Amino acid sequence: MEEATAYLRDGVLSHLEKLEAHARKLALKQEETQRQQENLVRLRARIQELRLQRDELQTKVNLQQVGLIRQEGATGSNVEPVQAAETGGQALLKWKVENVKAMLQAFRLTGISGKLTKQGVCFCISTAYEGTYLDSYYLDLLIQQPVQIRHHSVPIFIPLEQIAKKYLQTDIKCFLAMLSDHLNAYAGRKYQADQLQDHYSAFLEGTLQRNSLHNVLFFNYDVETESKTFPFRAKLVYGDLTRSLPTEATITCKAGDVSDSLVEKTAAHSNLFRHMALHKAFNSFRRAAESLDQTA
Amino acid sequence: MSASGRRRRGALDSGFTMDETVAEYIRRTVLKIPRHQIMEMLTMWEFLSKTQLETINVHQLKERISQEVVELCEENSASIKQAAILDMIYNYTYRNKKVWTVYQMTKAAGEETDSFNLADFKYKFKRSLRSALKNVTINFREYEDNAIWIRIAWGTQYTKPNQYKATYVVYHSQTPYVFISSLRSSIPLLCQALVHASNYHDIHEMELRSRCIDSLKDIVFKRYSQTFQTYHPRPLQERNVAPEKVDPRIIQENKREKERIQSVNQEVFGEGLQPKIEFAQYKLETMFKGEPEMDILTEKEPFRCVVKFSSPHLLEALKSLAPAGMADAPLSPLLTCIPQKARNYFKIKERKGILSASCLGP
Repeated sequence: MEEATAYLRDGVLSHLEKLEAHARKLALKQEETQRQQENLVRLRARIQELRLQRDELQTKVNLQQVGLIRQEGATGSNVEPVQAAETGGQALLKWKVENVKAMLQAFRLTGISGKLTKQGVCFCISTAYEGTYLDSYYLDLLIQQPVQIRHHSVPIFIPLEQIAKKYLQTDIKCFLAMLSDHLNAYAGRKYQADQLQDHYSAFLEGTLQRNSLHNVLFFNYDVETESKTFPFRAKLVYGDLTRSLPTEATITCKAGDVSDSLVEKTAAHSNLFRHMALHKAFNSFRRAAESLDQTA
Repeated sequence: MSASGRRRRGALDSGFTMDETVAEYIRRTVLKIPRHQIMEMLTMWEFLSKTQLETINVHQLKERISQEVVELCEENSASIKQAAILDMIYNYTYRNKKVWTVYQMTKAAGEETDSFNLADFKYKFKRSLRSALKNVTINFREYEDNAIWIRIAWGTQYTKPNQYKATYVVYHSQTPYVFISSLRSSIPLLCQALVHASNYHDIHEMELRSRCIDSLKDIVFKRYSQTFQTYHPRPLQERNVAPEKVDPRIIQENKREKERIQSVNQEVFGEGLQPKIEFAQYKLETMFKGEPEMDILTEKEPFRCVVKFSSPHLLEALKSLAPAGMADAPLSPLLTCIPQKARNYFKIKERKGILSASCLGP
């Protein structure tokens, strides 16, 4: 405060100049920290790469050592090289196993993975939404003519029979892709609804009504404008079952007389819900409310 | 008697006489509720106000509690609808006292699933049922897990509905399964109403019955833990690995056999808790296979008998048979296919030539 009064004594313009300089310095500092963080991330990735390389080279060295010892030991005793060969062999096997496991894990992370069974294949569809891995669903298929589903853990309200009727016999890839889309979209919708209920219940009035497939949601929430709270009612319909964003969002204001600004707001919210994930939309509401509180 | 005297006084004040059958029904429902749950259920009912609830003393004889509740209902002019809701709350909390049967609905070929509209469903159901039978009481209640509970009290053309023998129906939207309890003679009417209201084409009874409706839901919605062959077994912390402090001088002779039984068991039953069913019934219509000298029974007629397994928790009991040494692992597939085939009533017929069971059903 003393600084401010000192500056003001010099004159308003010089005060402005000093503020400008200060802002510039802050921006520079921010850029600098960002650059440093990017650098850090890059270096970490590099460390991982180098570690992998080192492990590979280490096993190669072990193998070569085994080879050398065997050559030397061919003239000498036989006990030692056998042991060394075993440990070398074991190390190689271990490396191979690790490699295969990592590949299988990578396959699983892609979302669709499978394992051959005695009579067919067992597919595992892993669902994820925006970086969070959610449930996995399994399908046990019998490979014969016609291809049959032996058993599965797909929830009953996903239209599995319909998708199977269309694609299972003709194009398995398409069948799996469609099923994976349905399951991922369902997992995404459910995740959004759960997030909304868990983290933003302060905004909601009453409970969030949903159906089994999570494709119709009803909820009431409060909106504060012009220092009054208005109750809004939202109905979200997800017409396309392979998408996790709604196709229609009907927002109505339950108050009696609706001013133009409120109508605008309902339209804006409807647009927002149709293009942004539910919990993110409410996060933006919360940030807006917080910034309002700060400036007030 | 004093109770009815008090009732009449209340009636004079408000100018409304609650129907005596309604009053009696509420009284008997409250009598059924265990003492420690009375306040909770009355609060859930949301029919009596907070001040009214505070006047009830739960530490007196239950007869007196029920009388007090009836009087308060009189003040609020309760009708059969509110009484039915209280009954539904009681039966939801004690849903495992009834025996539930699972019915499956089917769509006609080529129909697409459409989005479910609750108001539409209720309207169609009521209209379908009322058009066939005027004297029915129908109530709906929705719960958090998308379950719709329907309570139906049946009457006839000339008698009012019997509230004490109501049927309960549980339906989850967008699924083809319906859970029905205490159904007597009005099966076709109820089935037709359900099919019409939920836009399906046909309904049939599954051979799956149990008291624990949540386990029935787990079986048909496939929410129980099934084993699938994958490259990724569950992480170790999920398995019950309890390291026992064993004296190293003790040697387990058939350790390998025990491990084999464990692994086979886990393959068949999975790792989680099994759904809870109380009985499995097998109707055998196979030929008697015995000594050729006993030609009374062989090769003439199928030897009919019914084998019924019952237990407080049948599937867990079956799972523990092999580790306990009472049966060979793997168990007969007849026993282990129960959750997968979603049935616990089987009819076993002879397969041509080989004596093996085929799970044919009616």
